[in-house]
Amino acid sequence: MKLRDFILRRVLLAIPVIFGVLTITWFLSYVVGDPLAMFITERTNPAAIPGIIQDHGFNEPLVIQYFLYLRTLLAGDWGVSYSTGGDLPVLTVIARKFPATIELAIVAMVFAVILGVPLGILSATRKDKPIDHFTRVFSLAGVSMPIFWFALLLKYVLFYQFSVWGLPYLPSGDRVDNELWKTVLHNGVGYDFTSSITGFVLVDSLLYGQPILFGDAVLHLIMPGFCLGYLTLAIITRMMRSSMLEVMKEDYITLARSKGLTERIVIYRHALRNALIPTVTVIGLAFGGLMSGAVLTETIFNWPGLGRWATQAILVSDMAAINGFVLLVAFIFVSANLIVDLTYGALDPRIRYG
Amino acid sequence: MSQSQDLVLSIKGLTTNFYTYEGVVKALDGIELSLKRGDTMGVVGETGCGKSVTAKCVLRLIEPPGRIDGGQILFYDRDPKTGETQETDIVQLTPLEMLSIRGNRIAIVFQDPATYPNPVFRIGAQIAEVVTLHQDLGREALEVRIKELEESLKNSPSPEHQAKIREQIEHYVSMLENPPKPDRKYARKAAWAKAVDMLRLVRMPSPDQIANQYPHELSGGMRQRALIAMALACNPSILICDEATTALDVTVQAQVLNLLNILKKEIGASILIITHDLGVVAETCNSVTVMYAGTTVESAGTKQLFENPVHPYTIGLLTAIPKLHENKERLDQIPGTVPNLINPPTGCRFHPRCAFATDICVSDRPSLEEVLPGHYVACHHPQGNL
Repeated sequence: MKLRDFILRRVLLAIPVIFGVLTITWFLSYVVGDPLAMFITERTNPAAIPGIIQDHGFNEPLVIQYFLYLRTLLAGDWGVSYSTGGDLPVLTVIARKFPATIELAIVAMVFAVILGVPLGILSATRKDKPIDHFTRVFSLAGVSMPIFWFALLLKYVLFYQFSVWGLPYLPSGDRVDNELWKTVLHNGVGYDFTSSITGFVLVDSLLYGQPILFGDAVLHLIMPGFCLGYLTLAIITRMMRSSMLEVMKEDYITLARSKGLTERIVIYRHALRNALIPTVTVIGLAFGGLMSGAVLTETIFNWPGLGRWATQAILVSDMAAINGFVLLVAFIFVSANLIVDLTYGALDPRIRYG
Repeated sequence: MSQSQDLVLSIKGLTTNFYTYEGVVKALDGIELSLKRGDTMGVVGETGCGKSVTAKCVLRLIEPPGRIDGGQILFYDRDPKTGETQETDIVQLTPLEMLSIRGNRIAIVFQDPATYPNPVFRIGAQIAEVVTLHQDLGREALEVRIKELEESLKNSPSPEHQAKIREQIEHYVSMLENPPKPDRKYARKAAWAKAVDMLRLVRMPSPDQIANQYPHELSGGMRQRALIAMALACNPSILICDEATTALDVTVQAQVLNLLNILKKEIGASILIITHDLGVVAETCNSVTVMYAGTTVESAGTKQLFENPVHPYTIGLLTAIPKLHENKERLDQIPGTVPNLINPPTGCRFHPRCAFATDICVSDRPSLEEVLPGHYVACHHPQGNL
């Protein structure tokens, strides 16, 4: 009961947040920015301009335009993205490109969590030993290296140099090797994400019953996934290390030791759960961050996801697409925060919702 | 000290140092302490004299940069079934061997009930954890199983079904004599039942409910009782109370001390009470060891020590207690402060603050001598009635 009320209240509280976000983005794109830039080029006949203005309703007063925007948005119409081939509705584009971004973000998150948490624990329990020094340098590199530079470096070594040396190398970009997919699926198209079953290559390849394609998808995910996750991995490692060191000094660890428990159980049962609480915050917020981080990674690895779409939309002032993307990211941030808050309660009984 | 007495713990010349950046802190320098079986002994001294370090040494809980550098901690454990006593030197045990003593044969209750229980586990689970760790719950698990079957017998619909259950019960009853290793589900239930029993033993109201609660839902006194229950769960030979009542308010403190007095009789453990409160000692202990700056200065029966203190430091401690019937402007105190243990005074460590100090006190370390029957003191110039 209490939990349901809490979730309900948080969802209601999210409304003003989302509203604020969309108002600000609308203002920045339609009032500060020039919404006509998308439709008028140097070759447009000046006589046609008033007609274009008329067509898109830019002649109305701003307040009216704003309310019209809100009305269509509430009706489920997020506008049309004119920069995408075929002038598709924003929601359709999102539905097509979202799986690619989410898949990448999940892989990045998996890298970050399954490497970051154990590295942090190892680093804390072997403080000032070689493994700790290594981990600290590794995580410092993660937070300091710009993602685009690191991505190019990875590509240079794992793709270019490895192929030069004749070693097995990783693909330099794209979600799949389309030639391979064409041969295996005999459909002449390869992987077509507009008509695929789920939009997730990892899932689709398995649904087609083709382990080779699954392997191909995995290979394509390794570099961009690690690249995108490295920053989060570094943050999680550092957070885990410091909170573990903090917890190991607590009195309840002394008590656990005084019970005769082995050091392993003291660490993994008594310390870990307490140390995870601050780390979970970071993990949750990072998931939202991965969405924006994806902009760079997707561009460099030619990943047909939302990030690249948004970048292109910004370059050509495709206002509906920009607004749609920002709104979606806001939704993701709000939900990630809610999930983090719910996880706290599961980890720490002292936290009560109400 | 003579060996003939029925001792449970005998610390001889225990030396522990902490290797810090500022220098070597000689925290314990030749501690002597003997705890008789069934006794309650108080260990008293000022803050920083090494009382808690001694307790931690007994459990080998000293962490780097600290290290036990010498001496013996002899533990005479008596097997409850055979009555045989086995001598173990705790200092010599491997860390792995130590695990089976810690929390099992020697248990400790710490000072602050607010910070010692793990905040994320239920009280019952924290007690059950130590039970499952050290006890073979074979018999208890079988009993739980039989009890459950008896319950289901009552609700059983058909006679055939009942016969089947009876058969099962008989099967398990026959196993009671020589119980096999319990399966996890029933071991967990048995451990939980034991945890509830322990909470009942420490006079917790509605122990079933308390076992399901988290530490933050209990008051300080209740938490301390839960910690005592945790320490006693495996019937230890020695219970160490490291300032166990210091953080509690006076009324709760009285309750806990009273509880310890009762429990001692019920469970037959020897208790080591570490405190700086002489009132606690007077109320609960039958013998006292006085420590000063990492050394043992005096040891005697409580009554004897309070009536006839021999070491100048003990005399100072006792006169420092304000008395109700006296009307004084200024409370008595021992001049000076506790010495820095990186560079402790030569000879008797108390000599810079002692009114009776002579040259020999500066040059020679006094050894612990029996000045009266059962009354030991380490002093070149013992005072009192000898």
